[in-house]
Amino acid sequence: MKKLPIHIKILIGLVLGVVWAFISSSLGWNDFTIKWIDPFGTIFIRLLKFIAVPLVLFSIIGGVAGLSDVSKLGRLGGKTLGAYMVTTVLAVGVGLLFVNIIKPGTYMDEEQRIKNRLSFEMWLQENNMGPAHDGKSYLNDPAYAQYLTESQMANKLSEEQQRDIQEKMEAAREQKESSPLMFIVNMVPENVLLSISNNRLMLQVIFFAIFFGITIVLIPKEKAAPIIAFVDGVNAIFIKMVDLVMKAAPFFVFALLAGVVAKMANTPTEVYEIFKGLGSYALTLLGGLAFVVFIMYPGILKLFVPKLKYREFFKNMSPAQFLGFSTSSSAATLPVTMECVEDNMGVPKSISSFVLPIGATVNMDGTSLHQAVAVIFMAQLHMVDLTIGQQLTIVFTASLASIGAAAVPSAGLIMMIIVLQSVGLNPAWVAIIFPIDRPLDMCRTVVNVTGDATVSTLIAKSEGELPKYS
Amino acid sequence: MKKMALHTKILIGMTLGLIFGMIAIQFPWLGGFTLDYIKPFGTIFIRSLKMVAVPLVLASLIIGVANIGDISKLSRMGGKTLGIFIITTVISIAIGLSLVAVLKPGHKLPEETRQNLMSLYDATAESKISVAAEVKTRGPLQPLVEMVPDNVFLAATNNGRMLQIVFFALLVGVALLQIPKEKGTTVLSFFNGLNEVVIKIVQYIMLLAPYGVFALIAALIVEIAGDQPEKAWELLYALLWYTITVVLGLFIMMVAIYPILIRYFSKISYLDFFKGIRPAMLLGFSTSSSTATLPVTMDRVEKHLGVSEEVSSFVLPLGATINMNGTSLYQGVSAIFIAQALGLELSIAAQLAIVLTATLAAVGTAGVPGAGLVMLVIVLEAAGIPAAGIALIMAPERILDMVRTMVNITGDASVSVVVASTEGELDVEFAKKHVNE
Repeated sequence: MKKLPIHIKILIGLVLGVVWAFISSSLGWNDFTIKWIDPFGTIFIRLLKFIAVPLVLFSIIGGVAGLSDVSKLGRLGGKTLGAYMVTTVLAVGVGLLFVNIIKPGTYMDEEQRIKNRLSFEMWLQENNMGPAHDGKSYLNDPAYAQYLTESQMANKLSEEQQRDIQEKMEAAREQKESSPLMFIVNMVPENVLLSISNNRLMLQVIFFAIFFGITIVLIPKEKAAPIIAFVDGVNAIFIKMVDLVMKAAPFFVFALLAGVVAKMANTPTEVYEIFKGLGSYALTLLGGLAFVVFIMYPGILKLFVPKLKYREFFKNMSPAQFLGFSTSSSAATLPVTMECVEDNMGVPKSISSFVLPIGATVNMDGTSLHQAVAVIFMAQLHMVDLTIGQQLTIVFTASLASIGAAAVPSAGLIMMIIVLQSVGLNPAWVAIIFPIDRPLDMCRTVVNVTGDATVSTLIAKSEGELPKYS
Repeated sequence: MKKMALHTKILIGMTLGLIFGMIAIQFPWLGGFTLDYIKPFGTIFIRSLKMVAVPLVLASLIIGVANIGDISKLSRMGGKTLGIFIITTVISIAIGLSLVAVLKPGHKLPEETRQNLMSLYDATAESKISVAAEVKTRGPLQPLVEMVPDNVFLAATNNGRMLQIVFFALLVGVALLQIPKEKGTTVLSFFNGLNEVVIKIVQYIMLLAPYGVFALIAALIVEIAGDQPEKAWELLYALLWYTITVVLGLFIMMVAIYPILIRYFSKISYLDFFKGIRPAMLLGFSTSSSTATLPVTMDRVEKHLGVSEEVSSFVLPLGATINMNGTSLYQGVSAIFIAQALGLELSIAAQLAIVLTATLAAVGTAGVPGAGLVMLVIVLEAAGIPAAGIALIMAPERILDMVRTMVNITGDASVSVVVASTEGELDVEFAKKHVNE
């Protein structure tokens, strides 16, 4: 066992978890699974949750403070960050479009989805998180009474509580409608310590971290040095913690999957139903990623660099794309990406050596797209309708959190937990999509790498330093 | 005043508080004055101690683990600590059970008083039972789950979540050991500085201890007496035998069990131990709060008993949440007392159930507010005794809480001394010089 690489072990844990779920649901051991195995899955999620906030906080501060070169390079720096931001937003937009049109979560059995929804409402109640996002309460709707389990029956709200929730909903709606800019207002924390002590205020934490990081760059170096050293140290500690937790991940993943599935399904057919939905999810995600690589990037390039032919672009970039696919790490691919961009594309070294390393940490088009698709898929699976505003929060959190999380191993998993929390969905749901995360991760990296290369080409062109294609 | 030892000053404060309280209950206006203008200073004292508990545990445990420098030693220490916690808990329950079986305080309770008490404390009992019912619906592994914080900063804002802070600090310490040295130095020196600052703050607060204790005791007397002092004494008198049994049990823990533990498993003499820990015991008695006393206990154990910070920062916060010898003993006595008063005979199996559930409840209800009585309800139900019976023992609750907190603290301190001694982290020479300060 010792020699096996960690992701293989996690895979084994995954498979065992699913197998266990089948066995326990067919033998009626779900009660045992929920009592004695599921808690370890919960512990795993809690560990990642508590690491997430400080990790994001300190890694963003460190990351932004480390971007001090950007300010020195002035125009070029601004342009680079701007371009990265635009491509990320576009990629996420593509993801949202795909997932909302295809609706992969609805391909699952209707009955199972209603059950999912009911257990989600139970979870909300247990955590005192108020009414569900769309304001409906399936628990109290007589139309769904036939699906209720006994414990859920017991938790039905009384008339009085329902009225209370109605009133709160009204108040919340009024507040929401007061101004379309409300979500920007909500990004600014009233009290930083309050924001970091609440997992759902991640955007405020990110806002503070970026602001703090920029300020560090602006104060005198000798004053900033101890703070930077402290932030770097804390950052290293939390990355180490992720590392430690991940050592136990195979076991935890087993418990998580077994527990989550046991809670959602009582019979093997139901277990099967849950995983059936994954196929449509994977296809939607792949469709979105393919669209970005094969249509969006070439399209943008066509617009600004008309002389670059469609096929030539891919011929130039293919070595980096293949390596990205097999390593699923844009940092590991960086040297090859630079080579491709410089030798094949003809981007001068002065630009590529500046733009690409930033891109490898900041620009995560594929990852952000994946977050958007995955979260909305999971919401669909649980019959939770998210409004456009709620979807935009997801986009925002996902793209901003990627600034810091990029350097962290297993960043995808932690980011997903962050995003789910910030929109008030159950973070344990990551278990559902975890089984096929690894192959999708490989595809995401291709998009990330291609995006970096595209942006560096665009920057070179706009600086008039792309002689090969002008 | 300057030359006087700390514990003497605290004792004087307590005595004066007692005298003042006795006088105050004779004059209604003075009683009101005490509650309005003296009690707040006691509360301020407790609050200021609680204020530093979380940062102290966090900082001292992080550097403690980083100084141990060896994870296998850490896990050995952890195993040892938990083992001793469980053993002392079981012993304390056993002592409680045997005492109550011999003295039979429940049979000495007149029927009339029983009815009286039951109706008087009916509502309080109800509320405790409902909390206990909530606690019981949690899964068996829930305590383990709740040891892991889901947000560190949230955990740090709640004294009840001390166990989560301990867990987090352990993890930080371990991670700190494994990252490159040059990255860790700044963080380590930051926490070192923080630790020193907090310790200094504790020492400042302790200068106020005699006054704080005076205020607490004076207010306590006035509050217990209430509007009708005679009736209050009557109530307490009716439960005199029960109170005596509990206090006797706690006394045995102090003068027999802990001395044996210290004598056979450490190199320090019990007298020195007792001298060193005195101030913390007195504070535990007058605040009846383990969390508030924790900073002082840590200070005494490290700076006066010669226990290394690595050990004390690990054992004491853990002990404050899960090792409650006094509380466990009290539960054993109370359970049987209630059974006796209600005329129930308990089988050996039921008594064993009490030992088992009381031990588990000590760990399982860590962080539940008002845990003592909630735990008792769980124990009663496990032994098949009507939980409404806790109404019988409500009257002396405040006083017994004080005594058992004192025992809880002494227990934690002696475990830390034993663990330190067996790990070679106890400086006896240092202790001899500083116990009296």
